[in-house]
Amino acid sequence: MKFSALIFLLLLFAAFSYFMARQKITTAYRQHKQKKKILTLPKYFGYVAALCSLLPALLVLFFLQVVEEPYINSEISAYIVESNIDANEDLDLYLNDIKSADTPEKVSALSPEKQQVYQRYHEIETTTNRTISVVVLALSILLAIWGLKKINTDTPARKVFEKIIEGILLLAASIAIMTTVGIVFSVLFESTRFFGEVPILSFMFGTEWSPQTAIRADQVGSSAAFGAVPLFVGTMLISFIALLVSVPLGLMSAIYLSEYASKSIRSVAKPVLEILAGIPTVVYGFFAALTVAPFIRDLGESLGLSVASESALAAGLVMGIMIIPFVSSLSDDVLSAVPQSLREGSLGLGATRSETIIKVLIPAALPGIVGGVLLAASRAIGETMIVVMAAGLAANLTVNPLEAVTTVTVQIVTLLTGDQEFDSAKTLAAFALGLMLFVTTLILNVIALHVVRKYREQYE
Amino acid sequence: MNEAVMNELVDPTMNARSNPETEDSLNIEYTDTVGQPLCEKAKIRTQNVNVFYADNQAIHNVSLDIGAHEVIALIGPSGCGKSTYLRTLNRMNDTIDICRVEGKILLDDENIYSKKQDPVLLRARVGMVFQKPNPFPKSIYDNVAYGPRIHGLTRNKSELDDLVEDSLIKAGLFAEVKDRLHAPGTGLSGGQQQRLCIARTIAVQPEVILMDEPASALDPIATAKIEELMNELKENFTIVIVTHSMQQAARVSQRTAYFHMGRLIEVGETDQIFTNPAHELTEKYITGRFG
Repeated sequence: MKFSALIFLLLLFAAFSYFMARQKITTAYRQHKQKKKILTLPKYFGYVAALCSLLPALLVLFFLQVVEEPYINSEISAYIVESNIDANEDLDLYLNDIKSADTPEKVSALSPEKQQVYQRYHEIETTTNRTISVVVLALSILLAIWGLKKINTDTPARKVFEKIIEGILLLAASIAIMTTVGIVFSVLFESTRFFGEVPILSFMFGTEWSPQTAIRADQVGSSAAFGAVPLFVGTMLISFIALLVSVPLGLMSAIYLSEYASKSIRSVAKPVLEILAGIPTVVYGFFAALTVAPFIRDLGESLGLSVASESALAAGLVMGIMIIPFVSSLSDDVLSAVPQSLREGSLGLGATRSETIIKVLIPAALPGIVGGVLLAASRAIGETMIVVMAAGLAANLTVNPLEAVTTVTVQIVTLLTGDQEFDSAKTLAAFALGLMLFVTTLILNVIALHVVRKYREQYE
Repeated sequence: MNEAVMNELVDPTMNARSNPETEDSLNIEYTDTVGQPLCEKAKIRTQNVNVFYADNQAIHNVSLDIGAHEVIALIGPSGCGKSTYLRTLNRMNDTIDICRVEGKILLDDENIYSKKQDPVLLRARVGMVFQKPNPFPKSIYDNVAYGPRIHGLTRNKSELDDLVEDSLIKAGLFAEVKDRLHAPGTGLSGGQQQRLCIARTIAVQPEVILMDEPASALDPIATAKIEELMNELKENFTIVIVTHSMQQAARVSQRTAYFHMGRLIEVGETDQIFTNPAHELTEKYITGRFG
């Protein structure tokens, strides 16, 4: 039976138990003539009955689906060994040939021997599928009947339903957390493999980055160097320029929007500002590469400075514009949330609007503002596209914003694109970079949290 | 004050609501304010003041003098315009875009709504205490020092320290907070917070203090302290207080003004207003028949 049909049948059973249970309870209520008291609504009994037939069946189905493939593989391997077929190729590849034959033409194209195996494979698969369907459907029906029989007006249906809802919500939350944990561990694991080949100290403190490993020993640049310092310096330089642009601009536009702008201006300006965040970064990227970078180079030349045509300054400026909305939108929200009474208190003492903003509103809104800046900073550190296009790939160790630099994220991209052996130091370096980037942003977060806790002025 | 009225003040339920009259049924088609709205030694004179919120008129043609070094109470039912009137006196209504004020308001015979007048400096001369205590989320010291700092009232740290201490003493708070001047002001109790706000206002050395129901969010003990404080403050300041509590008005003020639906109905000596009101509406309000 097809998977979708199976799911459909399960849902049908669930719907059936819902209506039956509801009907049963409604009838029971009517017989007891308990109309005057407030009773648990019949639909809750329906929900409980439906979930009772559906949830266990779904869980069992999920489990069986997971174990199905290994089971079939082991069966078919056993068959191959038994019937003395010479699978002198890799067994996985052999099985793959057979499994990918999903049309009659492809089947007839197989060798006679393989066709024989294919027949066997087909049989096993059909039987397994059928077994799974029967088990799941039977379970669902049995539970539905059991549930309908057990359910009565004394069942704490509402409580049970609340518990089930809580469980579903917990599941949703844990999926996000488990994913994060999974990613961290996979990065950590691959990084340790990398550090097995390249010493961790030379990675963290090395000042030369040239990940190209030669295939033959006599090629140029045969010795690779994995010193991450130039990349981190490049990342920090570009992020710093971006924050230098976005924090003042974002904060000031937030102050204008929340304290000075009239309602009509605000209702137009705020959404427009937020659209900035919706522009794809690749668009910013070619804007940076084609417009801003040449402009800066020409400007620099006219001032007698030598500017690389791909410069950290160009990437940083454009990135700064890109992250303005993260600063301004959040700061605007927290400034607007400061109680009106504080504004009036300050104005009532003869403070001007700007004194009120600097001395009362910003300190009170500081945690939110720092939060916005932090969000912008992590966007800047993680940004890739603008840097690829506008700042280049050269891993120069410099803090001069007029030179080309590269960032951690850009290098991760270049390491992983193209044909690579997955266990070479070059590929594994991407994981190590990712890990360091992750640790860096984590440390930034902790520092910011500490700063906020120390300097915040808590109202309410 | 005669006893019968006092009883009613203490227990307004005694004869209240026995004959409920809605405000609509009362005749407010009158013209002039009853009583003595004018003063000899006036600190603030308001003449024919009208206030509009967009197209709604909130204050109708109010003329009232506020005498120097007196406590004047503004009473009246909710929505009668007393808070709006109070906020015209230091141009606090300027912060509301749709609010428009007509008429003359003179502080020491200078029109505060003239083009020359800077509202920021005006608010330093006419301070304000709000209904809900609103200390800044800063230390107690910084709360009081806020005004003097922005106006540059002191030349050095020790002068500022003295001014802060003096203001806290005048507000009757110093003894309670002298050991924790650098603790946050928001950590004080409601009554202490309100006295902190008063200290903050005094520190700027205003001439007039406007109080918008300063005790309505406080318990009776804290209220008593605030009222006691107002009696001391009137030596140095002119005080205008809006209150919902008629007992409070009777206890703290020398003159009382009764507002009704944006009109100033009656003004007089507090004793006279509460014992022998001249206007029918005033009588009905203070005897608790509506409001």
